[in-house]
Amino acid sequence: MRDTGLALPRATVGVSRWRRFRAAVDWPLIVTVVLIGAIGLLNLYSATRGTRHHEKFDTQVQWMIVGGIAFIIATVVDYRALVRLAGVGLCVAIGLLIVVRLLGDGAHGKGSYRWLNIGGMGIQPSELAKLMVILALAKIFQDADPSRYTPFRLGLHLLTLCIPIVLIGRQPDLGTATLLTLIVLTVGFLAMPSVWPMVHVTLAGLLAIPILWETMHDYQKNRVLAFIDPSSDPTGNGWHTRQSIFAVGSGKIFGKGFGEGTQNQFDFLPEHWTDFPYSVWAEEWGFIGSVFLLAIFSFLVVWILNVAMSARDRAGAVICIGVAAMTFWHVVVNIAMVLGLAPVVGVTLPFISYGGSSLVVFFACMGLVANVSLRKHGY
Amino acid sequence: MLLRSPAGPGSGNGPALPELRRRLKWVALVGVAALVLLVGRLWQLQVMGGEGYYERTVSQVVKERYLPSVRGKILDRKGVALADNRPAFNIYATPKQWKAETRGEISRLLGLSDDELVKIDERITLGKKRDPKRPILVLEDQGRDRAALVSQALTRLPGVEVQHEPYRYYPQGDLAAHLIGYMTQMTSAEADRLANQGYDTSELVGRYGLESAWENYLRGKKGIERFAVDARGQRLDEKTAAALIDGERVMGAVPGANLILTVDAELQRIAEKAVAHVPAAAVVIVEPKTGKIRALVSKPSFDPNVMTGHLTRAEETLLLSDPRKPFIDKALRASYPPGSVFKFVTALAALEDGQGAEDESIFCTGVYELSGTNFRCNASHGKLDLLGAIKKSCNVYFWTLATQRLGLDRIAEMARLFGFGTPTNLGLNGDAGGRIPTKAWYEERSRYKIGYATNAATGQGDVEVTVLQTAMAYAALANGGTLFVPQVVERVDASNGRTIVTYEPKIAREIKVQTEALDVWRRGMWKVTNEVGGSAYDHGHVSIVPVSGKTGTAEIRTRARKKEEIERDIDNWNPARSHAWFAGWAPADDPEIVITVFVEHGGSGGKVAWPIAKRILEAYYTKIDPRPGATDDAGGKSVPKLKAKPAPRPPAPKPETP
Repeated sequence: MRDTGLALPRATVGVSRWRRFRAAVDWPLIVTVVLIGAIGLLNLYSATRGTRHHEKFDTQVQWMIVGGIAFIIATVVDYRALVRLAGVGLCVAIGLLIVVRLLGDGAHGKGSYRWLNIGGMGIQPSELAKLMVILALAKIFQDADPSRYTPFRLGLHLLTLCIPIVLIGRQPDLGTATLLTLIVLTVGFLAMPSVWPMVHVTLAGLLAIPILWETMHDYQKNRVLAFIDPSSDPTGNGWHTRQSIFAVGSGKIFGKGFGEGTQNQFDFLPEHWTDFPYSVWAEEWGFIGSVFLLAIFSFLVVWILNVAMSARDRAGAVICIGVAAMTFWHVVVNIAMVLGLAPVVGVTLPFISYGGSSLVVFFACMGLVANVSLRKHGY
Repeated sequence: MLLRSPAGPGSGNGPALPELRRRLKWVALVGVAALVLLVGRLWQLQVMGGEGYYERTVSQVVKERYLPSVRGKILDRKGVALADNRPAFNIYATPKQWKAETRGEISRLLGLSDDELVKIDERITLGKKRDPKRPILVLEDQGRDRAALVSQALTRLPGVEVQHEPYRYYPQGDLAAHLIGYMTQMTSAEADRLANQGYDTSELVGRYGLESAWENYLRGKKGIERFAVDARGQRLDEKTAAALIDGERVMGAVPGANLILTVDAELQRIAEKAVAHVPAAAVVIVEPKTGKIRALVSKPSFDPNVMTGHLTRAEETLLLSDPRKPFIDKALRASYPPGSVFKFVTALAALEDGQGAEDESIFCTGVYELSGTNFRCNASHGKLDLLGAIKKSCNVYFWTLATQRLGLDRIAEMARLFGFGTPTNLGLNGDAGGRIPTKAWYEERSRYKIGYATNAATGQGDVEVTVLQTAMAYAALANGGTLFVPQVVERVDASNGRTIVTYEPKIAREIKVQTEALDVWRRGMWKVTNEVGGSAYDHGHVSIVPVSGKTGTAEIRTRARKKEEIERDIDNWNPARSHAWFAGWAPADDPEIVITVFVEHGGSGGKVAWPIAKRILEAYYTKIDPRPGATDDAGGKSVPKLKAKPAPRPPAPKPETP
């Protein structure tokens, strides 16, 4: 059946190759991504306007172009080839995480080892790791035969995936480590023939939290504590949360208008362009704008799941689930953090947050989804 | 429906991942739950709490600050500034943003003393209690270098500001310190009381003297400036501020009014110089024809420039532990036994009632025996008439008048007529009333004894008067019986020079005493300073201008000196010694100035107080009102008579009639 599936579109009479390709391209996905990217740029313009950070806008535009190229590459190269190379990719990502541990610019990321300085650009190997983990998951779950999922193999695979998670957690970047865990768990829950092994793993993980707490750095503990009681330390860790809530709330229903957010313009939220762009957006566009942006993200996630449902093979579907999970958790964790519902962790808002690595990886992931979407048309 | 069934050719055999389809409802559940949570939270923050959060973000950005009003000056009668303003740097801090690091940083930066740190901590604590968001003054009147150091480090000092503001300054130093007073930061209780009168918590308020009593005229009205700041407390530019703030952004300050005093700074300086050699003294110089004060001295004194924001704890302790009590205005707040300067009360009472006469002689043996007690006179004067008794300050003469003819209550009545026993209503530094005891007063306490009348007759015992009261009473003696309310403020001018109010001399009462009786007393006074044997003449004589006066030596009820008082003995200041008094006027025949000198525990009035008065009068009639023609002619002239209308002289003020 697969052969015929490949043959059918080519046999369509009277339609040029280009028009066929155009018809096969996932336009809703592209339009949604472009829309969110545009909102991101607009928001960044307001967030950095008139400050010494205004060059960040230009940098972000350049990264958008790089992201666009990454999207095209990730679309054009057959994802099945990428899945075959997932093991190598994961090894590269783990290698880079070790390199960043050894050589990384410790001062760059406020004493943690997150950044790798290559030719003047700081890149975050942890972002690349997300992409590779998704591809690795696709490789793990591409087999439909339930007999292949022996507890031993499953344990082995999960252990492999734990390597980058632990490395990132030790950077220390609790946000990304948590997020990777959530991606792996989500994909596991949705792609495993039986959910019970995942349930056991999750329960075990939850029981392990007290042990994790003991290994956490003091500043990480403080962040979590500040989240539980923001007023305990108003100018310290709670400051971000408080000011973010003020910003969001003060937007009221219709917002203060583009470039008019006082919380944003006068620096009440330091570094708001990386982790708190949603508070800038919510302050200036109000409840209407905030819900609108949430709706677009929801559409994006639903659309990616839709692509997963129609993927031609398990690997493609798992890639889509991985990307959907990544997008979903990024959005939910970031916005929950902005709204004071989650502790302040370094989780970006897709396409909106300032930062090259995150942006390019998200573009590449969307490229993979477009890739999966394209291949079902026989490419 | 977005999740339509797969239509692609690759899914001919159903979905590639059937597990996903089976678990879709869980996916939807989690997704919808997350969405409901986030949208619900947005609704709570933006729709329900929006207005409140909006107010809070505005209040984070828009700040208010008082614009200082320039305080009115205090000028002497010739326009010499006694209190002025000069530009200074004040350092403010917002208590809310004040942290241990800020404190450490500013302390390290400026090398603050422990004293200064304690002061800062107190103010921050007070500010936190009141309005933690309003910047408060933590360090006033800082030098250029300190201001620059703080300005450069503002990024490391959140909430700290440096303001260039006018600061109170007393160009004449400690001249007339008790009269002018000083300013300090308000206390916590005052802050509560004055907050609704437009005062800023960290403002300085007048604390003493005119600065305190005339606060309402001097302070003017503060302006308010509203401005916008960013998160670090840095001010935003005008355009941004205009866009953020509704309504007036600046309400201008109204400068305070200037006080023009009746005091003459030059005469004040002369008087202060004249008492420089004694440890504690008071001098009051008034115009007898108007009751205007020309000089008001209290010693020991303080430097108002130090008191206004620069007093260290050590200095304060030193001042407060001084047994001479520098903070008490000795001219009008404290009362003392007047001694012989009080004798005019007894003499006038006797003359008024016909109980005594100018030519009546009494024999002084040096001792006056009264119901078994011997009262000692300062010498055995022999046979004396009234003028001789005044001249030699014989006590026996007055004791005789008091005990045998007048009685205590008559003396008290006359004393009260001359203003003793009630405050003079100068309205400054807690003007004291003194004490004029009566029979009833003694009965109330224990039992009246005739000896009390003896004491009162010569201004001893329980009689206590202030130096200012004495000066006003002698002014009344000089002008023929008009008791004025002392006046120290001539007029109040607005900052633009327009006169707001001019104060006319105020008469307390016309004293009904026969002119002849007054004349007798005045002739006695003339003898004191101009005849051989007079209690003052023996210690010096003024030749430039004829002077009349009366000395007084008020004995102290001796008590054992406390050990610590002896240890702290300052400049031979002996609290067991008598008070030295002199009260008099010049010129003798046409009084222009009345001078009262009081030296606390100074000893003999003739020996100590009179030379001071003499020096002041000589300086006055050579420097301020020069009399080149004045010669030593006092002896050749007849005893002066009161002129009904003194001839007007250019520098002398016009005689005021009510």
